[in-house]
Amino acid sequence: MLKKLIVTTALLLAVVAGTQAQENKKYKIGAAVYGVKNEFVQLWVKALKDHPAVKSGLVNLTVFDGQYKHITQANQFDSMITQKFDGAIYIPIDSNAAAAVVDKAVAAGLPVVGSNGPTNSDKLVSYVGSDDVLGGELAAEAVIKAMGGKGNIVVLEGPVGQTGAIQRSEGIDKVLARHPEIKVIERKTANWSRAEAMSLMQNWLTAHPNQIHGVIGENDEMALGAVAAMKQAGIDVTKIPVAGIDGVSDAIKAVSKGEMILSIRQDAKTQAQGALDVLLRKLIGQDYKPLSEVWAVYPEMPWGEGTATLYSVPWTLVTKENAAEFLKR
Amino acid sequence: MNRSQYFSFRTLSRYGILIAFAVLCVTLSFLSPYFLTAGNLSNIALQISVNGILAIGMTFVILAAGIDLSVGSVLGMAGIVAASMVAGDTEHSPLVAVGAGVATGAVLGLVNGSIIAWCRVPAFVVTLGMLSAARGFTQIYNDGMPVPGLSDAFVFLGSGRLLEIPVPVWIFAALLLAAWLVLEYTRYGRYVYAVGGNEKSARTSGVPTRAVIASVYVICGACAGLASIIHTARSTTALVDAGAGYELDAIAAVVIGGTSLTGGVGGVFGSLIGVLIIGVINNGLDLLGVESYYQQVIKGAVIVLAVLIDVASRKET
Repeated sequence: MLKKLIVTTALLLAVVAGTQAQENKKYKIGAAVYGVKNEFVQLWVKALKDHPAVKSGLVNLTVFDGQYKHITQANQFDSMITQKFDGAIYIPIDSNAAAAVVDKAVAAGLPVVGSNGPTNSDKLVSYVGSDDVLGGELAAEAVIKAMGGKGNIVVLEGPVGQTGAIQRSEGIDKVLARHPEIKVIERKTANWSRAEAMSLMQNWLTAHPNQIHGVIGENDEMALGAVAAMKQAGIDVTKIPVAGIDGVSDAIKAVSKGEMILSIRQDAKTQAQGALDVLLRKLIGQDYKPLSEVWAVYPEMPWGEGTATLYSVPWTLVTKENAAEFLKR
Repeated sequence: MNRSQYFSFRTLSRYGILIAFAVLCVTLSFLSPYFLTAGNLSNIALQISVNGILAIGMTFVILAAGIDLSVGSVLGMAGIVAASMVAGDTEHSPLVAVGAGVATGAVLGLVNGSIIAWCRVPAFVVTLGMLSAARGFTQIYNDGMPVPGLSDAFVFLGSGRLLEIPVPVWIFAALLLAAWLVLEYTRYGRYVYAVGGNEKSARTSGVPTRAVIASVYVICGACAGLASIIHTARSTTALVDAGAGYELDAIAAVVIGGTSLTGGVGGVFGSLIGVLIIGVINNGLDLLGVESYYQQVIKGAVIVLAVLIDVASRKET
């Protein structure tokens, strides 16, 4: 009896859903992000929801929170395949593990565009994101230049084993290799967290009094934690160069006050809205013209035909000179 | 407690939780046309297999009035060790990886169990320590880097199918059956219940209580090792933070399934229902496109509600 009821209901609902789909052509798109607790991901999701195609109803968007777990993300892709989503945008927690997810999705007819974090797969329709290795290089270069090319630095790293952290570390290492007079006296993970970075920096300041001449944070939150720790220890933070990555609002404020020398802004809006445009181009065909305004922002990242396999979103250097302009946004 | 009374008590508690599970499934089948499709049911079975295997091990521990908070970290450690057997140039048979993963889990479990049983340190404290230490070992083992590039034969254990059913589901089902047989039909199984029900009287009636207590942690660790094989094979990469937080879902499944946290009452089929409830909620909320902020609230509420129905149905007797 119960089984019959369930089956009948399911059939009825399937029929209803089927007829609805024929009436108006909507694209069912899933955005699988590694974790909505992350501030950058929040900005990314907000920008995606503000995309003209989502606002106009052309796209029916569902955001899936991976809760920082690869398997959760893999399960969510399975759900999208079952529900016959038209396409997916993917910010994976791990670039290698993500490859199998993309393989399976593509084999099941679900095209996937990567955004923000890379995937080790050539089956993506395209990747719209920033180069984290370059981000690490830019941060390291700025700090080392401000130090005059010599002295002791500390590095606050992202979570152990996470792709974004590995790549930013790689960029920092590249720069360090060119500067033998720079000594890294401490480097450790603070898990992207301001609070963790603050405790870590306090301990480092205790262990190396007056010996830390520069701080590289692999993200802004950790750089801000280091700034807070130095302030508490009575250190003049304008004398110690600190750089971070992402361009979150607190970091831009810190830059404008001279507490940080640089934040490298990663453009969440361009990554998110650009990815959706590229996906819609794949689904609709060459008649599709990008609806987002982000394509006008960077001359070095043109739309072209909308079929490039890589759209590298440039980093923007936020310094004391231009910080005010970003604060207005 | 005599056996027939004990049996009816357990049947009833299972009945209550089954109602809760049925209500959940009927509701979801009304709300989403995809819920009852073969593809989705197969997805659910696949998705619950890791938590299912962890919950089986956890059932043994909780039946013996213990707790194991370290299973998520043990899963991470075992996964890295197993993966290193089948990654890149060091390509052994996947069975070597399975053996290495399960053995790693069992050894960590033995460390837990020995300290708990013979040094009389509370299980909560010992396994909390292991939660931290095993995660640390995981990072030390490969210098904090994930282990990618696993052999196809190994990946088959996570993503392959036999007779249309995913391999992890077979592994989970076989383990479930074995655990049920051990708990219901062996002397060892009765010892586990006896130790959890009343350790002192178990000891006076000749049960080797310390060995039994230590053994349940070994079983739980070995289960975490086996779960790590499926987790790693599904991920196609051993991740250093694999399994973080999984202990909570495993404990929740066991408790939802009617196994008493004070020990001695419950069983693995109850835990299966618990695992299914958690798996169906996760899957259903994804199908319905519920935002993740709300998902967590709904998940918490349904878990408490399920146990509430369970408690109410017991009181009626």
